[in-house]
Amino acid sequence: MPKVSYIEASGVQHIVDVGEQLSLMEGAVLNDVEGIVGLCGGICSCATCHCYIDDEWAAKLPTPSEGELTMLERAYDRRPNSRLGCQIAVTEMLDGLVVRLPAHQSND
Amino acid sequence: MVHFDPYDHATHDDPYPIYRELRDKAPVYYSETYKLWVLSRYDDCSRAVRDFKSFCNKYGVAIDEAKEQMPTVLTVDPPDHTRLRHLIAGMFTPDAVKPLEDSVRVMARELLAPHLESGRMDVIGDFAARLPMAIICRLLGFQREDEDKLRHWTDLVVQRDEAATEMPQHAITATLALYEYFEKDMAERARHPVKDDLVAHLMASEKEGKLSHAEVLGYLYILSIAGNETTTKLIGNMTYQLNKNRSELDLLLKDRSLLPSAVEETMRYDGPTQLMGRSLARDVEFHGQTLKAGDRAILLFMSANRDDRHYADPDRYDIRRNPRDHLGFGGGLHACLGAALARLEAKVAMEEILDAMPDFAVDEGGLSRMHSPSVRGYTHVPVQFTPSARAAHPSEGGRLA
Ligand code: HEM
Ligand code: FES
Repeated sequence: MPKVSYIEASGVQHIVDVGEQLSLMEGAVLNDVEGIVGLCGGICSCATCHCYIDDEWAAKLPTPSEGELTMLERAYDRRPNSRLGCQIAVTEMLDGLVVRLPAHQSND
Repeated sequence: MVHFDPYDHATHDDPYPIYRELRDKAPVYYSETYKLWVLSRYDDCSRAVRDFKSFCNKYGVAIDEAKEQMPTVLTVDPPDHTRLRHLIAGMFTPDAVKPLEDSVRVMARELLAPHLESGRMDVIGDFAARLPMAIICRLLGFQREDEDKLRHWTDLVVQRDEAATEMPQHAITATLALYEYFEKDMAERARHPVKDDLVAHLMASEKEGKLSHAEVLGYLYILSIAGNETTTKLIGNMTYQLNKNRSELDLLLKDRSLLPSAVEETMRYDGPTQLMGRSLARDVEFHGQTLKAGDRAILLFMSANRDDRHYADPDRYDIRRNPRDHLGFGGGLHACLGAALARLEAKVAMEEILDAMPDFAVDEGGLSRMHSPSVRGYTHVPVQFTPSARAAHPSEGGRLA
């Protein structure tokens, strides 16, 4: 299983196995990574799965859809490397991915 | 002493004073009658939906005990839940449901057209009760002529005339009728595999061994039921609230771009789904009280949405608020899968109502309410309005966006 490293805003790091094809949001929620909420359950409707993807990885991800970009407008502390975790499927290619989390999600 | 009974008819008329009492005086309430815990504050409900390892769905989410159920996405926990939800979650994002907008609009117009010359209609009976099932049939590829039959069965599945500890017989019979219908439909499809839609996708996934046949039936069942009555009630509640809060209606008539925010505020302030049940998989503590493994609990989402610890001035209906974090669609892994579709339907339905009858007034004497522990809304919302000279044919002109 691909390993993903989630780094909370506090610096706490979680390195977890994420089942192939699960989303980055699910990988976080199923493994008790606090910094991701996933309020809408992954239908691209809440922006509480907001995360930052390190540059070296960003290019390996499919580009965000219109809907993801629209929803990102609601994200707290949006940056150029912001993504919605529920819209990114984890594959073997992403083994070792580093995901940084914002200090807050938009509902807290 | 606070007393809360989710079956009490007087409570259905106006549950909000009791919800406030629960939040303020008994945030961890225990109902001796129904043997369940009741959580009512925003933070507590939100913590509970996120903590799916403690609050599990696999023993059901209704207050009464369900019967004859196939496994559905709603009544399983991870990892099965993740597997099932994943299969079709991509078909329910706002982008993915957007192509249905034209169908929703055409159907909304077809339903409104026959009433425009008379200047009166029942927003529920003539309109909101029919639109969601028509869309679900479109989504699942069922025949239009089967709509009435399917709606009848799905209504029976959720209808509860009195407090019951288990699913009543009429609901069981209707459940079995629905399974039979789905089986026939799939057998028919297997003979003519032409359609490329949600059901075809589920059937193909079954062939690939990604889900069982029972799980396919369960999926069709939950998709037919979950978005029917709830969406109907949302349209009714929104019509009622806009009528009652005329200044908000005026705002909306002047600026239609407020519609999505107004739908969101209606979901927060007067959303149809009051509560969802859970079972405790392990002990958890809330405000110094322990809910024990094996206990049942309900999460009062509509009380959470009125919590002044979370929302400023929560008892004010403010269509500009746009509260996207409300719990009207639940939250977390089990959050409503059809939320984007429900939002789309409600938006288009209200848009068409406002276009066709901008001066509508609800005849409050004719309102009647349904009684259910979990869904709150009207069975009749009669309105009057200035008749239009000629009811336009639904497919003609207009703003088919
Ligand atoms: C205004 C309309 C609606 C409301 C108020 C509503 C409400 C809800 C709520 C509160 C839940 C969470 C259940 C829980 O936490 O246990 C839920 C789940 C669900 N809803 Fe909706 N719903 C609506 C419309 C729809 C529509 C249109 C569909 C599909 C066509 C749909 C399909 C589902 C499904 C499949 C689930 C289960 C998701 C899961 O467990 O992963 N709903 N709904
Ligand atoms: S979980 Fe809601 S947008 Fe990703």
